[in-house]
Amino acid sequence: MPAYLDLLQMLTGVVLTLFMWSHMVLVASVILGAGVMNALASFLEKTYMAQVGGPVIACTFFLHFVLAARKLPFRLEQQTSIWKLSKQLRHADTWLWLIQAFTAMIILIMGSIHMWTVLTDLPITAAKSAARIQGGYWLVFYLILLPMVELHAGIGFYRIAVKWAFVGRKERQAFKGFEKLLTAIFIFIGLVTLVRFLTLGT
Amino acid sequence: METVYTDLLCIGAGLAGERVAIQVASAGFQAICLSIVPPRRSHSAAAQGGMQAALGNCVMGKGDSADIHFEDTVRGSDWGCDQAVARLFVERAPEAVREMAFWGIPWNRVVAGKSTYFMGGKQYDKVEDRQKEGLITARAFGGIAQWRTCYTADGTGHTLLYTVDNKLVELGVTVHDRTEAVSLIHDGETCIGAVARCLKTGGLRAYLARATLIATGGYGRIYRETTNALINDGGGAIIALDTGIIPLGNPEAIQFHPTGIVPTNILVTEGCRGDGGTLLDVNEERFMLEYEPEKAELASRDVVSRWMIHHIRRGLGVKSSYGDHLWLDIRHLGPQHIKTKLREVEAICNNFLGVDPVTKLIPVRPAQHYTMAGVRTNKDGAVYGLAGLFAAGEAACWDLHGFNRLGGNSLAETVVAGKMVGEKIAEFLQGHEVHFSTAVIRDRVARDREKIDRVISGKDGHENVYDIRNAMQDELMERVGIFRNGTELQQAVDNLQGLYERAKKVGLRSNGVGANPELALAIRIRGMVKLAICTAYAALHRTESRGCHAREDFEARNDRDWLSRTLATWKEGDHLPTLNYEPATKVEELPPGLRGYGASKIIGGN
Amino acid sequence: MSRGLRFNVFRYNPEDGDSVPHSDTFFLDETQSMSLFIALTRIREDQDSSLQFDFCCRAGICGACAMMINGRPGLACHTLTKDLPNEITLLPLPTFKLIGDLSVDSGTWFRSTHEKLESWIHTDKIFNPQAEEERMDNALAEDIYELERCIECGCCTAGCGTVNMREDFMGAVALNRIARFMLDPRDERSEREYFEVVGTDEGIFGCMGLTGCEDVCPKHLPLQKQLGVLRRKMAWSAVKHWFRFR
Ligand SMILES: Cc1cc2nc3c(=O)[nH]c(=O)nc-3n(C[C@H](O)[C@H](O)[C@H](O)COP(=O)(O)OP(=O)(O)OC[C@H]3O[C@@H](n4cnc5c(N)ncnc54)[C@H](O)[C@@H]3O)c2cc1C
Ligand code: HEM
Ligand code: HEM
Ligand code: SF4
Ligand code: F3S
Ligand code: FES
Repeated sequence: MPAYLDLLQMLTGVVLTLFMWSHMVLVASVILGAGVMNALASFLEKTYMAQVGGPVIACTFFLHFVLAARKLPFRLEQQTSIWKLSKQLRHADTWLWLIQAFTAMIILIMGSIHMWTVLTDLPITAAKSAARIQGGYWLVFYLILLPMVELHAGIGFYRIAVKWAFVGRKERQAFKGFEKLLTAIFIFIGLVTLVRFLTLGT
Repeated sequence: METVYTDLLCIGAGLAGERVAIQVASAGFQAICLSIVPPRRSHSAAAQGGMQAALGNCVMGKGDSADIHFEDTVRGSDWGCDQAVARLFVERAPEAVREMAFWGIPWNRVVAGKSTYFMGGKQYDKVEDRQKEGLITARAFGGIAQWRTCYTADGTGHTLLYTVDNKLVELGVTVHDRTEAVSLIHDGETCIGAVARCLKTGGLRAYLARATLIATGGYGRIYRETTNALINDGGGAIIALDTGIIPLGNPEAIQFHPTGIVPTNILVTEGCRGDGGTLLDVNEERFMLEYEPEKAELASRDVVSRWMIHHIRRGLGVKSSYGDHLWLDIRHLGPQHIKTKLREVEAICNNFLGVDPVTKLIPVRPAQHYTMAGVRTNKDGAVYGLAGLFAAGEAACWDLHGFNRLGGNSLAETVVAGKMVGEKIAEFLQGHEVHFSTAVIRDRVARDREKIDRVISGKDGHENVYDIRNAMQDELMERVGIFRNGTELQQAVDNLQGLYERAKKVGLRSNGVGANPELALAIRIRGMVKLAICTAYAALHRTESRGCHAREDFEARNDRDWLSRTLATWKEGDHLPTLNYEPATKVEELPPGLRGYGASKIIGGN
Repeated sequence: MSRGLRFNVFRYNPEDGDSVPHSDTFFLDETQSMSLFIALTRIREDQDSSLQFDFCCRAGICGACAMMINGRPGLACHTLTKDLPNEITLLPLPTFKLIGDLSVDSGTWFRSTHEKLESWIHTDKIFNPQAEEERMDNALAEDIYELERCIECGCCTAGCGTVNMREDFMGAVALNRIARFMLDPRDERSEREYFEVVGTDEGIFGCMGLTGCEDVCPKHLPLQKQLGVLRRKMAWSAVKHWFRFR
């Protein structure tokens, strides 16, 4: 059983990561112009990819949560001991995991709210998104969620490579560098996108 | 107090102890092993080089046989060994290696085809036989005629010990680790177990057993500079000597290894020289050729160590803040070889010296290494003097090694003797019933407890136990080392006797509660000084040079008067041991002759 | 121009009713090639003879002396003070039962692990003393040795966040041990049997890839890679099993 759970955890992680990257492309298309984003969005809706894909992703999201939560330290003494160890150890990868665990909790809450909001308010248009973001609250919301998600996904991506030995001892540090760069790039694109939304229509 | 009953009590869970326990447990008896440390930390794990057995698989060992192994062993021992034991041993060594392979040792194997090797700094070619591909291979070692030392890289002892311990776990044999035997329980005729101190809580426990085995390893820690682990301080020999009945065999027979690194005395394996490493002096010139034209660096250990000290005395050593030393050079073996076959050596040099042996010379000097001395047994492993008591491994004087052990013969001894002694103990247990006399047990425990209480309370005095130990180690190092002479030995005996008196007055500085380390040493210290006195005293009386025992005032080997084994007992209340002698061997397959290396002054025998 | 070193050492003797966990400070002048073995021995002999710690081989091969050295698990005997700052903090390894001060009971833990893993060669064959040994490729022998080199010091266990959180997780040392037997053709256990032992959340699927184990192992065992390969094999075995059920 644990074998399947672990495999599923990885697979849901991969699916979510891939989704987040395509999702970023979709949203970031607004940089090229509201029209581009609208076109992409309506294409997805016409082909029912949004209507079906949305809930599927939502399910994957919760499934992943349930799977990964097995590993989270819910008991206080677990939290203190991992926290104590991490502080002592000065070991980057252990810290990365803590970041992953921490971001996960935020993503769980904010991601759910976000999905609910967007999916109950279809269709997706650049204008609606811009309006939300210009409202202010959502801007803050995304400014928090964005780095959380990108960090979590980036680290998760690295972790998969490590856990399944896709990278070995020699490549590991280089791969970690690559992962960090990737995360930074996505956060950057995300920020530019948010700025674009802010300036859209004004 | 807790009392534990068992068929066999193994004091010691190194290779020898565990191998015996396995044999006895396989025969359906219950065995319990005691050990100061978790079994896999026993010092057997430190053996790097390998284990001798005449398999004759590799091309350089072609034609090897038990007979040649026998001759090497007897020559190595300088005719001090029991030849009946040596014969038994060489016959069964190959089987032992194969059994270990069967249990899971990843022995290095023959790789067919051409390869190169080094000898004395020069490179040669050899071609391994295709038919032997995949069989257990061997390397060269000092003092042997053929490549006979089977190995797993340079972690042979480690893999052996782990594999044997695996087997032990498989058989479900109980191990009480962090338990130190402090005395044997006996009535003067039969041994019925031991009292031990728990090193987790500090409490005493009585172990009652139908048979008891001493397998506590060597006791190099009576010397200051030794390659031995810190726990090799003679527990087994001490409790045997304390009985007043059991003799130590050849306490003067202490081996020095040529290549301890300076300053920590950690051993770098003989495999370095076996694989072609050379010894250099202050001018970075090879000097062993000058003394031993034929064998050079690969003469036996005692010989190489002596020439090294001799060379240093001639002023050709390298000066350092830790005293003079020489160099070991393995650079020419190349990074490939060093990083695979001599990997532990590479790690040791880098970690403890900050020296990379691929590019730099290694500072070395002879250090105490092996105690041929030990609890005297017959060829079945039964200890002289008490029924129901056995000994095996380095702790025993079985006597395979005489006055000098060959490299690779002691790992082999632990498993070969382990198996044979185990068989004998199983036989013994078959027919042996004992009566555990409560009076004897109560008396023994009471005496141990009183001794401990006196030390803790400081009733007998306040001597500092560390000072005494350090002084004892210095004394042996300075006066009972590689070269010995009458005046110095007498001096050593006198000084050590002074220390013995002081050792009786040890008092703790700490409170002695729980697993207190000061107390552990304080319990042992009198016994350690006794061992030291036995060593010095027996050396003083042996007025000849044989194997590792080199007297400057008696340079010749004297087969006329000294083809004998020292037996030292220590009667209760005495200040010195009583020395007796027995013939070195009753069977004389190979009559005394030239060793083929080392100085060759011999005073004829028969 | 020797440095003055300040040691903060964890102290607690559970056997002593008066003892409470605290830290003691000791001062020493650094000497040439001073290791923590030399330093601690000196402290015990000259300053506090009740100080408990474990050294055995003092040569980095027995695994007895692992402790937390300035927060990281390592072998004290091969840690040179010159590689450390002036202030050195020493704690016992977490995850093992404390015996006193810096000394922990790793023996009991390892023995139970060996029993759990059945870490011995499983075979139906019977040893024949007369027969030639079974052949083995030297390269394979070397690969097995590479994993067999572990000295069971417990550093990897102490350095693993998962073990620190969850006592029932076996840790890298155990998983590496199983990997060693899987590599060995003499062990006739089937993949399924190995799966029973380590295909669990206490076993390989409990590992979260924190790589603390790999990064602190004083013997530089290739733990991360071994664990990854083991995870793949075990997951693959599970998938195969699943399909067979259908
Ligand atoms: C550095 C080094 C390298 C070596 N290399 C080689 C080599 O290459 N080839 C070779 O053939 N030989 C070699 N040797 C020698 C060989 O390793 C040992 O002689 C052999 O392993 C001894 O095994 P043993 O079982 O007798 O003792 P050990 O392995 O020393 O075991 C002794 C056991 O007794 C226990 N013990 C001790 N005192 C007590 C007590 N009072 N109460 C309870 N338990 C106690 C210990 O805890 C331990 O478990 C080497 C030795 C050293 C020091
Ligand atoms: C519901 C919110 C989420 C929670 C609670 C959560 C939690 C976790 C946790 C605890 C882990 C580590 C598990 C382990 O190391 O064994 C993890 C891994 C991972 N997560 Fe999430 N996560 C969430 C959402 C996401 C999202 C949205 C993505 C994609 C962008 C994602 C991608 C990953 C990946 C790729 C991994 C690595 C998978 C693995 O190690 O097998 N997670 N997650
Ligand atoms: C189920 C499908 C999803 C849809 C249809 C969707 C749709 C959108 C849309 C339309 C936007 C633009 C902003 C807005 O309209 O408010 C957006 C932004 C964003 N979404 Fe999603 N989303 C989905 C799931 C997720 C999930 C699971 C996460 C992470 C947990 C997430 C994280 C983000 C973030 C961080 C932004 C801001 C991007 C930026 O910085 O530019 N989304 N999403
Ligand atoms: S794997 Fe490394 S760190 Fe872990 S116990 Fe073995 S040697 Fe120590
Ligand atoms: S640190 Fe622990 S989580 Fe896995 S990779 Fe190593 S065992
Ligand atoms: S004392 Fe043996 S590894 Fe440090």
